[in-house]
Amino acid sequence: MSDRASPLGPDFKPGQYGNLADGIGVHLSETAFGFLGEIAAFPDALDKIEKRVSSASKSEAAAFKIAANRWFLAGPATLADAVRAKLKPADGSLVDLTHGRTALRISGPKAEWVLSKLYAIDFSPATFATGTGLSTAHHSIFTQIYRRDAQTFDLFVFRSFARSFWHTLQRAAEETGYEVV
Amino acid sequence: MSFRRISTSGKGKRPVSFTFDGKRVAGYEGDTLAAALLANGHMVLGRSFKYHRPRGLFAPGNAEPNALVTLIRGPFREPNIRATEVEIFDGLVAESQNRFPSLRYDISSLNGLAGKLFSAGFYYKTFMGPGIGPLRSTKFWMLCEKIIRRAAGLGRAGLAPDPDRYDRVNAFCDVLVIGAGEAGREAAETAAKAGLRVILADANPPSDLSIEGVQTLSRTFVWGVYDGNTYAATERVADHKSSRTPGEPRQRHWVIRAKTAIHATGATERPIVFPGNDAPGVMLASLLSDLAARSIAPSGPVCLFTNNDSAYQTAADLAGLGAKITAIIDVRAEVSAPAKALAKVAGAELITGAAVSGTEGTNALTSISFQPFDANANALTGEPRKIECAILGISGGWSPAIQLASQAGGKPVWSEPLQAFLPPDPAPGQDFHVCGSAAGVFGQEDAKADGARVADIAVAKLVGIPIKTAPAPASDPVYFAAPVHEIRGGSKSQKAFVDFQHDVTADDIRLANREGFSAPEHMKRYTTLGMASEQGRNSAIPALAILGGEQGKSIAQTGTTRFRPPASPVAFGVLAAERYGDLQPDRRTPMHDWHLASGATPYAAGLWHRPMIYGRPGETIEQAYVREARAVRMGVGIVDVSTLGKIDIQGPDAGKFLDRVYTNMFSNLAVGKARYGLMLREDGLVMDDGTTWRLGDNQFLMTTTTANAGKVMQHLDYCLDCLWPDLKVHLTSVTDQWAGAALSGPFARKVLETCVEGTKVDTDALPFMGIVHGTIAGLPVMICRLSFSGELAYEVYSGAGHGQAVWDALMQAGKPFNITPYGLEALGTLRIEKGHVTGAEIDGRTTAHDLHLEWMLSRKKPFIGQSMMNRPGLTDENRLSLVGILSSSGKPISGGSRIVEEDELTEPASSLGHVTAACYSPALEKYIALALVKNGKSRIGTTAFATAPLTGQHVPVEIVDCHMFDPEGRRMHV
Amino acid sequence: MRISCPHCGTRDLAEFYYWGDATRTMPELGSTDEAAWLSHVYDRPNPRGRHKEHWQHLGGCRAFLVVERDTATHEIFSVIFARHAKTEASK
Repeated sequence: MSDRASPLGPDFKPGQYGNLADGIGVHLSETAFGFLGEIAAFPDALDKIEKRVSSASKSEAAAFKIAANRWFLAGPATLADAVRAKLKPADGSLVDLTHGRTALRISGPKAEWVLSKLYAIDFSPATFATGTGLSTAHHSIFTQIYRRDAQTFDLFVFRSFARSFWHTLQRAAEETGYEVV
Repeated sequence: MSFRRISTSGKGKRPVSFTFDGKRVAGYEGDTLAAALLANGHMVLGRSFKYHRPRGLFAPGNAEPNALVTLIRGPFREPNIRATEVEIFDGLVAESQNRFPSLRYDISSLNGLAGKLFSAGFYYKTFMGPGIGPLRSTKFWMLCEKIIRRAAGLGRAGLAPDPDRYDRVNAFCDVLVIGAGEAGREAAETAAKAGLRVILADANPPSDLSIEGVQTLSRTFVWGVYDGNTYAATERVADHKSSRTPGEPRQRHWVIRAKTAIHATGATERPIVFPGNDAPGVMLASLLSDLAARSIAPSGPVCLFTNNDSAYQTAADLAGLGAKITAIIDVRAEVSAPAKALAKVAGAELITGAAVSGTEGTNALTSISFQPFDANANALTGEPRKIECAILGISGGWSPAIQLASQAGGKPVWSEPLQAFLPPDPAPGQDFHVCGSAAGVFGQEDAKADGARVADIAVAKLVGIPIKTAPAPASDPVYFAAPVHEIRGGSKSQKAFVDFQHDVTADDIRLANREGFSAPEHMKRYTTLGMASEQGRNSAIPALAILGGEQGKSIAQTGTTRFRPPASPVAFGVLAAERYGDLQPDRRTPMHDWHLASGATPYAAGLWHRPMIYGRPGETIEQAYVREARAVRMGVGIVDVSTLGKIDIQGPDAGKFLDRVYTNMFSNLAVGKARYGLMLREDGLVMDDGTTWRLGDNQFLMTTTTANAGKVMQHLDYCLDCLWPDLKVHLTSVTDQWAGAALSGPFARKVLETCVEGTKVDTDALPFMGIVHGTIAGLPVMICRLSFSGELAYEVYSGAGHGQAVWDALMQAGKPFNITPYGLEALGTLRIEKGHVTGAEIDGRTTAHDLHLEWMLSRKKPFIGQSMMNRPGLTDENRLSLVGILSSSGKPISGGSRIVEEDELTEPASSLGHVTAACYSPALEKYIALALVKNGKSRIGTTAFATAPLTGQHVPVEIVDCHMFDPEGRRMHV
Repeated sequence: MRISCPHCGTRDLAEFYYWGDATRTMPELGSTDEAAWLSHVYDRPNPRGRHKEHWQHLGGCRAFLVVERDTATHEIFSVIFARHAKTEASK
């Protein structure tokens, strides 16, 4: 476990909630990644950085493009070193956001449905493929979303918004029943 | 009783019991509230808006103007719901509206006797009052409004909060089909078979027939079309249920983005306007069909009044259910052979070339009068004849439901044979198709074929294959209507209503025209016709016919008004949807819980929650902040500064970039040093200030004010994307990455010395504006020596997840020095004493000179705002500039006070400027303030008054330099 | 309105932040051409019909875009990254 304090504090309460009549629709959890960050490339080094990102993220790390020249990285603490190694300032930059973003995971048969309540994004697998991610917002809450598998999404939100967003996420999940794990 | 239930067996429907006006009523599952009430003999279901006339059910579904009820859920009241759209359930509680003491006997119906008083524009003309005097214009209106609002109006909203929850859901599809009638179902099936993603939305409860590959949304009414084929709809998720499952919304707001849409929205029948047309029992023929489909048929004598053939089928159907059809009255002199045959089947007397000219019966229709009618001259002739009649079904032809098409399209197209507007073509950027009766293609088989045809076109267009242009089926002549919309003359004593819900009569429309409100949009607003919840579904065409008739124009020439969302009323809860409580998220710093546990009063700064004071029992706000501020000056204080905006700036051109956006130089800043920076807008006014730290050759950390963090980041994004795309610089918001704690006061260094490891913090290692890296409690920290309070001060930054641990360690280390946490009020007090500016002074109107920051304007390099900042208006010595203000009388100064020279409160006073921030200063031991004052520098040493007329404060003050405490800055450089 | 961001795809208006006229060019920093600066800062064409505007995809990739659209009908004709606008224009 990380030595970082969770922004969810006392509001993270494991248990089952909401309408459980048809079972548990989604599981909600917080993931303590060893490293979160963004890497951005200057125009003439786009390909070089892209290669670096894809090779560094082969293991269990997630790396997905969030802008024309920028990738979001989530993985073990060693990921930072792998990406940073020999990164020339003229090629691009790496920013550590391990403390600045909070990773919430939503997983289960109703994950797409619950997320559809919050984001104007088409979550159907045909348009949002596994292993890809994007940037969007729920009103003021900027979010990066990564699809880990058919029923699992990682949501990366600004830490200061995390607790407020956690409440919103729980509320959205009540209808289908959820478990905090 | 005028209606009876034909069969209750059917599908073995379950009996349901509900409450209406306090009485238990029995119905059957699947009944609408309107149908159940009618079957129980309730003919009067509402009282009209202005005249309080008894009104009965008039139209099916969302066209119903009269039967508005209030639904009651515990203490919560939901007014103005159409009884035709309420599905009954056990425990439903409904109440009639706009009546006192009861629906059948209402005192205010006397308004009807004074009918002339309430004609169009009456409120405004009468109650605007005289142009002069104590009751002039609006004051008089406001007095009368209260009285009128009680008499006129619809349901009463309650004060209790809505106990229900609402949801939003975002949906995407290739084709959105609206309406699950014959045309819509066929269109949905056709598009789904072609492999497209199809959503079919329908306002009715689900039917048993599901369509393969189609996502069907039942009880879902589509009410709005927005740019880019975005459709808004409301799903009534639980309105028909007596209880909710956990988290179940009452209604759900669907926002559907479709590549294209097929409107199969159907058509609604129109009335013909005639005197006495609002007697309970006069209703659209289509309502009779709708009720028959719900196994409820008329039990008294029925007449039909029509200008087209469609009502004949209704007559035959009703007769088949055992209803007694007395007569069919048709305005046309000749009718078709099939119509004649149907009249014979119905066993009705066919009276052609005639029109209904009056009614009898107050709470229920008892008889009608009709007269010979010349359809060519549009006039009654001959003598009236009276026949007994309990139900009069009327049909003035059919209007395609073009509300959505009109929202997203151009001008509707007039059809003379149908006497109706057909849907317009889509506006640029929109894409939709219309089929079935919504496009004027009536009849089940024709509509079905049209649904398939239109879906083929939509699919071909989406998939990009050649479009087969099959012609649309022609409209069935059964639905052709004679151009008769109003019967004039007849019963002189009876009003002829056009808009039942707003009590607008044919005469009101003529009056509006006479008074110059002759354009449809003007007439609509003057009379309020079509502005009630049924949105002109019944009234639009007759009103345009009457208005056009007055002007000698056809309806085609008059044109129609444009439809706008929503096509039917939408509950506010649906719009707020997933946002609940105060509708806004909040932002918390890593130390938020500690602040609250330590007695902080939270204060909302934008979305952030920040401690205002850490009050002790019995302390006032002022006592608390004065204690906190004094502790900083005398010992050491600690404040959470995590909310400051923080931007990571990286790249080989970072220094060059900062030189351009800041007024002062940053490219020459040494690594490990910070500098105070000032940013101007292009027009030369100040945008923001903050310190920027150089963390490496190619890396800076910029801090911004809390309030401007987002704005500054966007400005920098703009500069890089739009102005200088060639600069190699990357920006990332790291506001949330860092927890910040500012330690200030004479003992600040001692506190650090106690707890910081891995670096020295003495003046050599950490001079003013220096940065060091070390650890506190084993956690990495970055410490910059800078001061907002004017004391020896440091900002300690740690990873946000370590923020609380580092804060705890600082508190522990500060214990021997009696470290005091302080909030925003004390922070403000300390900076006011020092004359440091914040957003109150950087208000978008001030220049660097105004704030005495001209020393920060570099002459060595160009920067944004430089070329505009020296314009004459921005350098005028009479501009407002920053000064300090001392209260001379010992009285407090209010923030926002005006600075004036007059020694008494006069009106109007000549303002010299205004107070931007005020406090009690423990350092100076008096009330002080910062103010922006005309030619401030020249007024230093003079006296004036700080006046706040709203609170009656008028305080004598002395104007001084803005640096009121330790102007030389000795304390922070120790 | 829905805007097609060249990176993120088509998104709702709510994700975008309006920044205004994209037809102006800022004078070189340090330029003393007062008229050019006044025109740049204050003269905003506001046509009814086709117009080029800057929109930032704030709720997405944060890129500034040049959106050419009809201000009356909201029909969108083209969307490009603002940082490519100069090169696109010279093509």
